[in-house]
Amino acid sequence: MVQYILRRFAQFVPVFFGVTLLLFFITTLLPGDPVALRSGEKKLPPAVYAALRHSYGLDKPWYAQYGDYLGSLSPVHYSSKAGLQFTGPDLGDSISSGRPVVDIFKETYPYTVRLALTAIAIEILVGIGVGIVAAVRQYSIWDTLATLGTSILVALPVFWLGLMLQYFFGIILKQWTGGAFYLPISGASGPVFADWVHLILPSVTLASVSTAYAARIMRSQLLEVSGQDYVRTAFAKGLGGSAVLWRHEMKNALIPVVTFIGLDLGVMLSGAILTETVFNWPGVGLTIYQAIGRRDYPVVFGGVTLVLFVVLLVNLLVDISYAFLDPRIRLGGQAEG
Amino acid sequence: MTDRKRSILALVLVFVLALAVAASGCAKATTQGGGTATSSGPVKGGTMSYYIGDPAAIDPYNAQETEGVTVVHQLFTSLTAFDPMDATKLVPAAAEKWESNADATVWTFHLNKADTFSDGAPVTAKDFVYAWNRIASLKTLNTATKKVDPSTISYHLSPVKGFDEVQAGKATEMSGLKAVDDLTFEVTLAKPFGDFEYVVTHPALAPVEQKLVEGGVDFNGAKVAFGDMPVGNGPFKMAAPWKHGQYVKVVRNDAYYGTKPYLDGVNFMEFKDPDTAYLEFQSGNLDMAQISLGKIKDAQTKYGTSDDGYTSNPGKQVLLGAENSTYYLVVNNKDKAMSNPNLRKAVSLAINRQAICNTLFEGTRAPADNIVPPGIAGYEPGVWADSKYDVAAAQKALTDAGFPGGKGAPEIALTYNADGGHQKVMELVQADLTKLGLKVKLAPLTDFPTYLKALGAGKFQIGRLGWVADYPIFDNFMNPLFNTTSTDNYSKYSDPKVDAAITDARKITDGAARIKAYQAIDKTVGEALPDIPLMFYKHHHVTSARVHDFVFSAMYLADFSKTWLSPAAK
Repeated sequence: MVQYILRRFAQFVPVFFGVTLLLFFITTLLPGDPVALRSGEKKLPPAVYAALRHSYGLDKPWYAQYGDYLGSLSPVHYSSKAGLQFTGPDLGDSISSGRPVVDIFKETYPYTVRLALTAIAIEILVGIGVGIVAAVRQYSIWDTLATLGTSILVALPVFWLGLMLQYFFGIILKQWTGGAFYLPISGASGPVFADWVHLILPSVTLASVSTAYAARIMRSQLLEVSGQDYVRTAFAKGLGGSAVLWRHEMKNALIPVVTFIGLDLGVMLSGAILTETVFNWPGVGLTIYQAIGRRDYPVVFGGVTLVLFVVLLVNLLVDISYAFLDPRIRLGGQAEG
Repeated sequence: MTDRKRSILALVLVFVLALAVAASGCAKATTQGGGTATSSGPVKGGTMSYYIGDPAAIDPYNAQETEGVTVVHQLFTSLTAFDPMDATKLVPAAAEKWESNADATVWTFHLNKADTFSDGAPVTAKDFVYAWNRIASLKTLNTATKKVDPSTISYHLSPVKGFDEVQAGKATEMSGLKAVDDLTFEVTLAKPFGDFEYVVTHPALAPVEQKLVEGGVDFNGAKVAFGDMPVGNGPFKMAAPWKHGQYVKVVRNDAYYGTKPYLDGVNFMEFKDPDTAYLEFQSGNLDMAQISLGKIKDAQTKYGTSDDGYTSNPGKQVLLGAENSTYYLVVNNKDKAMSNPNLRKAVSLAINRQAICNTLFEGTRAPADNIVPPGIAGYEPGVWADSKYDVAAAQKALTDAGFPGGKGAPEIALTYNADGGHQKVMELVQADLTKLGLKVKLAPLTDFPTYLKALGAGKFQIGRLGWVADYPIFDNFMNPLFNTTSTDNYSKYSDPKVDAAITDARKITDGAARIKAYQAIDKTVGEALPDIPLMFYKHHHVTSARVHDFVFSAMYLADFSKTWLSPAAK
């Protein structure tokens, strides 16, 4: 297991280089100048323009910029004044706001994590729960409701659902109850910005479509597993319904579901742009999206680096979990005899 | 259902209910207040929550877009100010009086000695010299990163003597700035510029304390970068450092030398999406928001409309006043087809501007009959005679251009950036021009940066731009848009007589005479029609029922000086 984990981490290195190198090269082909964009439609005086470009290293060729970027990522720095120093990675400064990229992500990423974890929790609890109920009570009213419900949820656009939830729970419900009971509309609703309470509607919105998928996958997996021989054996042995379910069926049925949820977690941790915009949640999604529009390369690359790490880590965790769910799966390809 | 399942279901329901109850308990709503004000008059106290987008900077040296300027305007006071309701009236601010010499090249500002920064330090002429040099210098450091980050708005100071040398890197200070003594600030300009007294109203040209900019601001025992917590001489001061992406909280500056505001403070809440802000407003958590398009008539019915469009009070909360910005079609005067003045005339006369305003903008835009909007001192309606809808005249102009009925006319491309929401406007323009008999195609470019590049390279026939006034003066439109040497003149219109007229108009010291000179220039340019004005922007904002006497000027600046909140609110 440990060898497997180490090997996976080692694989990260070529992936990282490949992605960032490609991105750097592509940015040379992209039209649009981040410094010129700072002043909008009013042109910058040429001297200021040149000074800004120099300050952000934009007047160097792209491979030199890439070299600088890699160098700044290293936690160890050598300077003639201070000698060898251990500092955090320096991802450069945002061109549009002048702030250190590391600070920008330090501020915004915790919010994205909070939103993603809450949404995943909903997805796990509700998605798996509904899937189990629908499979165990196949063809009953619960199954029908679950199937209908998930179909509808998958069809709804995320931002529309968010808007409707905001309108209903934030405004209409408030009017009905005379201000006594309602849910906060956005991160800016209450005395503290983006507090836990404000997380309810955004996480439900973000989780909605994925929960529907998770429920369906869980349901179909369980149905498939329940037809297997070993399940019939377990019943023949005299085990009750829920013992069979939890001890035998779930572990096998869960593998595709875990894959799906894991992938989803990776996606959510890279920033949920629509949800964050609609609910004014100060996370990473909109930051990166706006940076792309403004050609703010340091922020984009910082974001890509961060997201790469996170997604690879999540995928690794998902793969490790397989070993616990199904003892037949030996990671690293050492098959048990 | 088995007992076990029933109890699980019951547990889940209880859990959801508990969560909901907890949520409602934790979510404290700011109530809308008593509604109609029956109390006798202004009451001190209360904090207003105000919608803004994402500011790029709240440090005056880089305050460029409206979001940042809104905040800077509350934290700082510049030399002069203009009456928010009448742009022709300049009033004393940080300077209690000022004068210029006969040819408007030397300006002397006498500072008000009661003016101090919110930390108690007096405002002196040296603070203005330092602040202005900081804006012009190429070596200015970003206060947070200590990296070279020169100002992108230094153009405000381009009239000052020594500016060109500093921008060329040959000097670090502008020779035209002089602190004669603590309370006398003398500015020498490179060329005469009668409107300079208006230029200094801009919030970016406010004084700053050198030691705070370079050393940081003390907050709770730590040093915060000046750019995150600017210290100014305005009616409000920062309550805490700027929480990027979330809010800027300011509180009343009790050391303010002028009339202190009634409000305890203002919370500028940053919203990524103005529609979410409007939802928050409807829910009662925001005192000022932009009305979402499509909801304006509703809002007017529900909240009442302001009489003058700029001042709001309970029951008259929707603000629809004209703003000092124009949405216009920029025409490439060097393009073979578009260099034909009659063709430009025909295009302009064929566009039904009122229909565009009604259909797409629900009354939040007004048809433009001049490149200069109504809030500018000296604006007169209808001066650009061809900036109107007149199909018969358009057809005549088309014939004069040599393409009767559109026969033989070259195909015209309408260029714009696809990410700016301009598609629908361009589609309506295309429809109008097609009705006239012209062949028009839409040529959107993927995004704004790409589009700007194409404009700069002259790779377009007709594009679109918006121009927002920096100061409410004619020159701010005439010079950047139509002067041959201006870098913002994308139409490449060039008339040496107009260039000379602008230079002459800048020499006039008498305000009324100067306005007359610019009006003549306006008429000349209007006859040539290098660009085609489409619409003037209007406010589409609303305040809550507890806000009294809030003024939102045509220059998009909030004036809280007389604003007060109904007592029932917190």
